[in-house]
Amino acid sequence: MKPYLAIIVMDIKLALRLRAVIFFNYLFPLIFFFTFATVLKKDSADIAFVVTMSVTLGVLGSGFFGAGIRAIQERELGILRRYKVTPITPAPILVGSMVTGWIIFIPYIVFLLLMAHSLYQMPLPGNFIDLLVFISLGLIAFRALGLVIASVANTMQEGTILVQLFYFPMLLLSGATFPSEKFPTVMRIIHNFIPATYLVEGMKSIMLKNHSLLDKDNLLAVLVMVLTVFGGGLISMKLFRWEKEEKIRGSAKLWVLVILLPFIVAGIWLWLKG
Amino acid sequence: MRGLIVESQGLSLCGVPRCVRYRHHEIGHKEDAVCNLKNEPMNSQPVIAVQGLTKTYDKVEAVKGIDFAVAAGEVFGLLGPNGAGKTSTIEILEGLRPRSGGNATVLGFDPDRQKQQLKDRVGVCLQATNLPAKMRVQEALELFGSFYSRSISSTKLLQRLQLWEKRAAFYETLSGGQKQRLALALALVNDPQLLFLDEPTTGLDPQIRLEIHGLIEEMKAEKRTVVLTTHYIEEAERLCDRVAIIDEGRIVAMGTPRELQQKSQERSRIDISTGQPMNALALPQWPNVLETKLEQDGRALTVYSSRPAKTLFEIMKWLDQQAIPLEDVHLKRPTLEDVFVELTGKKLRD
Repeated sequence: MKPYLAIIVMDIKLALRLRAVIFFNYLFPLIFFFTFATVLKKDSADIAFVVTMSVTLGVLGSGFFGAGIRAIQERELGILRRYKVTPITPAPILVGSMVTGWIIFIPYIVFLLLMAHSLYQMPLPGNFIDLLVFISLGLIAFRALGLVIASVANTMQEGTILVQLFYFPMLLLSGATFPSEKFPTVMRIIHNFIPATYLVEGMKSIMLKNHSLLDKDNLLAVLVMVLTVFGGGLISMKLFRWEKEEKIRGSAKLWVLVILLPFIVAGIWLWLKG
Repeated sequence: MRGLIVESQGLSLCGVPRCVRYRHHEIGHKEDAVCNLKNEPMNSQPVIAVQGLTKTYDKVEAVKGIDFAVAAGEVFGLLGPNGAGKTSTIEILEGLRPRSGGNATVLGFDPDRQKQQLKDRVGVCLQATNLPAKMRVQEALELFGSFYSRSISSTKLLQRLQLWEKRAAFYETLSGGQKQRLALALALVNDPQLLFLDEPTTGLDPQIRLEIHGLIEEMKAEKRTVVLTTHYIEEAERLCDRVAIIDEGRIVAMGTPRELQQKSQERSRIDISTGQPMNALALPQWPNVLETKLEQDGRALTVYSSRPAKTLFEIMKWLDQQAIPLEDVHLKRPTLEDVFVELTGKKLRD
């Protein structure tokens, strides 16, 4: 346990020393929240939509940029190479990344909900803890996804392209930025295949419908997130590379599809269900 | 006689591998018990044994079947130009890369199959590495120390490597020499009995290089086994008990720096300056002299000899008999660089 704790403590210290981390984890989503909340301020459902959007923005940013791009950067800079000569396995580094992201993100969520409640009169969710647990699960799942992307990208350029390919469709088609109820039929089908959809829908269900985490409406979202956490963890462990010189074969990039499998199956199921 | 200068290169180093205990307690180990752990090789066994080692990348054969052994307490140098196969060899022994063929044991462990146990026991200073920009020096030592089953107090390491003043500094603010000292401190954090130093002074300025040499000499004095790769001749001559000259994936010569110099067909060169001209026709046939060159003004004589000490004595005697005043003398023995050029036909920095 010693290396795990040491890496988590160190990662938290490093994260809090970086202005970019503070900006993208706290300030940027907060600016988003206050701007949209002020513009859209009609009723608590609108504010809940803005909260969902800000949280999704933060979760995706933390997963793809905080975990994924940072992992590629550490490999390219030769930082992971220094770890390679020690007796540790990739596990403490990967677990450290997931846990650190969570520790940094959760205070922001609590702060955001309190702001929405006190400034915009949004009722606090009845299942507050369920909401925090669900967001935590989502955050760890998306950090795992980010780490898988880092594992299959051979260069920073490749990693950036992959991240953009994931980030923007998730932001635009998940229902986080545009209400999914207004999507045309084709977009609604695509929407069901987007991983962030399950995060957005789960949050809406707990916040607006007062459902619990294990309500039958949330089971699918919880299941795909749990599968992503474990699948992502295992795949990023298997494909972990310490040095930029260790290139991954083109065919190994298909592991990204494996991590997307739960969402593909869920999308097909929802499509068939109509 | 005005100013006798005898420039002697590569005359140092004992050359005899020492047999020592593996553990030492000079720098305050957490566990004070003498560690003669399971699987630790006996003192009589080599710390590193390599037989027929090969490494192939795609179709390129970087290491082509090399054999060597390193004894406990020895400083062993792998000397060669860039791309010779030094780093591939050392990284196989560190457990960082799998070998393509042959056998290797390090501290009794197979670097391919017992990586974690091996890494726990050795110290490594990599050729190119980095730490996060905002990591403080002491934090780095404490973090990396936590990865090992045993570690030295970071305070003691910082003091010893003259980094105490910089303990709270961010990595990004350190100079090249300080970063290299930190890299050495990290290599020592688990108090290893065996250290791998891969080109530890490359790219550093001469003064910092001397500082790093001092630190490596301290490690040597502590009877640690050190495997060092370098393409700096003076580094190998100063620090290594034995040197393997490696070229295109093969060991082309191995021995103490002195042995290698003595094996060389290269000639020692004696340069003599005199106060009055010498007559070219009057120069005698001194013993062991291979070639003699006298400058046009007759005041500068260059003599190539296979036994420079004897030749020099004869020349001095002759100058004295001829009453020719001596102004300056230089004796230059073949260096490891000369040996290298002779064996490979290349310069080390090719």
